[in-house]
Amino acid sequence: MIRDLVFVLLALLTVVPAFWVVFSRNIVHAGFALLFTLVGVAGFYGFLGADFLAVTQLMVYVGGVLVLVLFTVMMTHVPAVGRRRHGLDRLVPPAVFAAAVFGVLYKVITVVKWNVGEASTSPTTAEIGTQLMTNYVFPFEYVSIVLLAAMVGAAILIRERSHAGSDDAIAEEKQEARP
Amino acid sequence: MELLHVKIPSWGDLQWWLPEAVLCCTFLLALLGDMLARGRRPVVAFAISVAGLLAAGALAIADTHAVAPAGGRAIMGDLMVVDGMAIFFRLLFVFGGLATVLFAWTSEEIMGHRRENKGEFFALTVLMTVAMMVMAEARNVLMLYLAMEGVGLTSYVMAGYMRTSLRSTEASLKYVIFGAVSSAIMLYGLSLLYGMTGSLQFSGIRAVLLGGGAEPFGILVAVVLILAGMSYKIAAVPFHFWCPDVYEGAPTPVAALFSVGPKAAGFALMIRFFYTTFAVGTNAAASNSLIQVINWPLLVSVISAVTMTFGNLVALRQTNVKRMLAYSSIAHVGYLLMGFVLLSEMGLAAILFYLLVYTLMNLGAFFFVVAVNNHLKSEQLEDYKGLGYRMPWAGVMMVVFLGSLTGVPPFAGFVGKLYLFTAVMDRQWFWLVIIAGLNSVISLYYYFRVARVMWLVRPDEGHDSPLRLSWLQYTVLACLAVPTLVLGLYFGAFKDLADAGIRTMAGG
Repeated sequence: MIRDLVFVLLALLTVVPAFWVVFSRNIVHAGFALLFTLVGVAGFYGFLGADFLAVTQLMVYVGGVLVLVLFTVMMTHVPAVGRRRHGLDRLVPPAVFAAAVFGVLYKVITVVKWNVGEASTSPTTAEIGTQLMTNYVFPFEYVSIVLLAAMVGAAILIRERSHAGSDDAIAEEKQEARP
Repeated sequence: MELLHVKIPSWGDLQWWLPEAVLCCTFLLALLGDMLARGRRPVVAFAISVAGLLAAGALAIADTHAVAPAGGRAIMGDLMVVDGMAIFFRLLFVFGGLATVLFAWTSEEIMGHRRENKGEFFALTVLMTVAMMVMAEARNVLMLYLAMEGVGLTSYVMAGYMRTSLRSTEASLKYVIFGAVSSAIMLYGLSLLYGMTGSLQFSGIRAVLLGGGAEPFGILVAVVLILAGMSYKIAAVPFHFWCPDVYEGAPTPVAALFSVGPKAAGFALMIRFFYTTFAVGTNAAASNSLIQVINWPLLVSVISAVTMTFGNLVALRQTNVKRMLAYSSIAHVGYLLMGFVLLSEMGLAAILFYLLVYTLMNLGAFFFVVAVNNHLKSEQLEDYKGLGYRMPWAGVMMVVFLGSLTGVPPFAGFVGKLYLFTAVMDRQWFWLVIIAGLNSVISLYYYFRVARVMWLVRPDEGHDSPLRLSWLQYTVLACLAVPTLVLGLYFGAFKDLADAGIRTMAGG
């Protein structure tokens, strides 16, 4: 009974703001609504006994990605979107598509006999750590080198002149195009 | 305690992964060397990258005899496998990476005086080579995904390498966004598959499927989602739309690598995933039964036919040579998919052989564009007027590449196409062969339009001075053009290599 209640509350916390994310005409509002959705998902992880995943979700998505998104939105000039109302022709095709996807996924979820295990009752962090250092030590190391490449890439893309889209860049490109 | 049951990948596994390990070290050394040289002298990173790639190539060749007869060696706790196919692709990727590094060194777009970060470019190319190799070796869903992201992350950066160019920045952004979406779609499919089978290992998934313990509808949806994500990687219709913009915007040497490397890696991954998970079997009936829910041959043959037709028809209208090559590369994916229709050994071996030929001829054609771009700062077809007279040797080699891309007889492209056509004809898929034949005729028109402009039109007055290429450019182009010719006449050994690659592919 209490489990059901918790589940429904978490589901509401996840789904209702998700609609807001999609339909809000203010991108800052959409960003804040995303906060609740991500927290709701973290709640689900905790609810299912995946304590490590829940904390990771909070730290990486809520604490990292979302804050980054909000900073980006607030610090850059966002053109006024949504002054123009979308007509039915712009709304119907995506709605039909979304409904179709939902229908297919609903059928998959209900029809398939899922390979489910018992939710763990003990903390999972130690086990995950052990696995990462033993069975999965190779992917762990491989990811580190891929992430290093990503960092190098980020450094390349922002070093020196970071305003690649500005008028300066266009002028420069024109200049370069001249023989 | 469950903790006691873990098995630790042994250090001994590394000896079968030496080429990749060497390249990982090369990546780090190149970054370090570039840093010590303060980014002013990219020659340090360039030399380290070339040396590392050469060493990796030598090690990969040495491995060939040690591993191939054993029919595959599971390494790193069975997350990856080194078998005949993995070795084939290792050699292919090292070759492609090396050619790209060498030619990028001569490219104005990469090395032009205003560009910083030249050293990192070579380091990233090396790391992309590693990631592509892992794609060809993965036999676990986790490694499959990590390898794809490794290729993705490096290619996003390389596409946006010319930061001050709007086109390049746009290419990078498009690549990131579409790449993220396609990754998400594929991950969703993989998670469904995991939820149904409870295994990340290809062999484990296969065991559950063979046991009939999965709902067909669920498998269908999962496979379609996974196929969608992988189609994006190889740029098959309808997931091709990023391809022309990215190739056009990216620096040309990068576009050259994109057009062969990640595509070949995507095919390697598709072959291993779909063949070993869904289709390995001695008799065709049993092998197809697992994916009968989908009517696989029909699905793939339609994708194949639409992809080649679309690519060729749009390529016809292009006036920018680079963009034309981008669309033609989509068409070639269509041809390659023909070998995938029946999931037969014959078809898959034909894919491997064609990928080898395609790597040679497509890199060659793109590199010619690089060489021209260095002098003319243009990729427009109208500026190619009379180029044959201004750079005769390179012009002749370009005709070789174009002829091979079309698939006319004395060149390697013809042999490659012949094998692909035969693989489908083997089971009476005549309509697909007819469509592919018609497509080759269409492609004849736009490939030879380039050759015609270069050789049959006289250069304009004042624009007819000879253009010089460096010895390095001639060497690389010759290393691509000569095999393109030779493979058209003498292909037995390389066909055997491709056949052996598929035959010794470790089962699921």
